[in-house]
Amino acid sequence: MSDTLLAALSLAATLGFYYLTKTAYKHRKNILLAPLLAAPLGIIALILVLHIPLEDYYLYTHFLVMMLGPATIAFAVPIYQERRVILRYPLTLTIGVGTGLILGLFSSWLLVRIFPMPEALASGMLVRSVSMPFAMEAVTAFGGVPDITAMLVIMTGITGMALSEPIFKFAGIRTSLAKGIALGAASHGAGTAKARELGREEGVIASLTMIFTGVAMVLCAPLFSQLLN
Amino acid sequence: MARTGSALFLLFQIAALCGLFWLCNQIVALTHLPIPASVIGLAILALLLLLRIVPEKAVVAASSWLLGDLLLFFIPPVVSVIKNWVMLREDGGVLVTTLIVGTALVLTGTAWVVDRVFTLEKHLHKRHLRGQADV
Repeated sequence: MSDTLLAALSLAATLGFYYLTKTAYKHRKNILLAPLLAAPLGIIALILVLHIPLEDYYLYTHFLVMMLGPATIAFAVPIYQERRVILRYPLTLTIGVGTGLILGLFSSWLLVRIFPMPEALASGMLVRSVSMPFAMEAVTAFGGVPDITAMLVIMTGITGMALSEPIFKFAGIRTSLAKGIALGAASHGAGTAKARELGREEGVIASLTMIFTGVAMVLCAPLFSQLLN
Repeated sequence: MARTGSALFLLFQIAALCGLFWLCNQIVALTHLPIPASVIGLAILALLLLLRIVPEKAVVAASSWLLGDLLLFFIPPVVSVIKNWVMLREDGGVLVTTLIVGTALVLTGTAWVVDRVFTLEKHLHKRHLRGQADV
C-alpha cells in the first residue's frame, strides 16, 4: 500500500476507534473500554498487523495533535462561564493551585532522585500532573520528549482517579472545594471527570483548578527548570 | 436544514479559534515572548469574553467540541508508546511506584491545605457579610 493510503487509513482508524470506544464507554463504564486505553491499543494492534511505518501513521494524525493549541484557547470559555466561582473563592483557589503545582513538581523531583530513571522519563515526570496541552508545552522547558510525557500524563490521570476516594476518606477530607481542587491539581482531565461524579461543584472547581495549574506550570516552567538543574 | 446550519456554525467557530491560535503564533514569533501561543490565545479570548466584545454564544459550540473531545487529540502521542516499549519494560516498576507515590502526595497535600484555607475563607466571608449588615 502507498504511504498516503496508509496515512489516510491511520487517520480513519484513529477517529473510528476513538468514537467507537467513546460510545461504548458511555454505555458500559468499564475501564477496559476507556477511549484512552482501548483506542490506542486497537490502533497499535492495527499498526503491528499491517506493518504501518510510524511516519505514515503520523503523516495525517499529527493534525489532530495540532488541535491541542486551539483546544487550550477554548479553556477561556469555562473560565468565563464560572467567573462567579472564581470571584467567590479567590484565596482558596490561588493557594490550592499553588500548593498542587509545587507539590506536583517537588514530589516528582524528589522521587526521580530516589528512583533513578532515564532522562526522558525524569523530565516528563515533572509535568505529569497538568493537563495534556499544557504538559506538552511545559516539558520542552525541561528538555523532555512530548510522546513519553503524553503517556506519563495519562497514567497520572488514571492513578489519581483511582486513588482519590480512599485518600479523601483516609485523610478525612469532606469539603467539596478541597476534593475538587485536589483532583484538578493532581490528575487534570481524569481527575475532573472523577470530581464530576462526586458532585457539580466539585466538577467545576476541579476543571478551573486544572486550567489554572496548567497555565501556571507553562508560565513557571522556564524558571523551575533553572532552579532544578 | 437547522442541523447543517449549526454544523457550519461549529466549523466556523473552530476555524476562528484556529485563526486566533495562528495569530498568537505570529505574535510569539515576532516578539520572542517566553509564553506559548496557546496560553496567550486563552488570555485574549478570556478578556474578549469578559469585556463582552465576543459574545459567549459565538465560541461556546467550538469550545464544547474541542474540550469534549480533547482525548482524541492525545491518541497519536499515546500510540508512540510502541516506540519506547523497551524503556517502559525496563523501568516499568519504578515508573508505576513513582506515579502512585507522587500522585498520592499531591492529592493528600493539596486537599489538606485547601480544607484549612477554605474554612478560613468561609469565615472571612461571614465576617464580611456581618460587617455589611451592620452598616
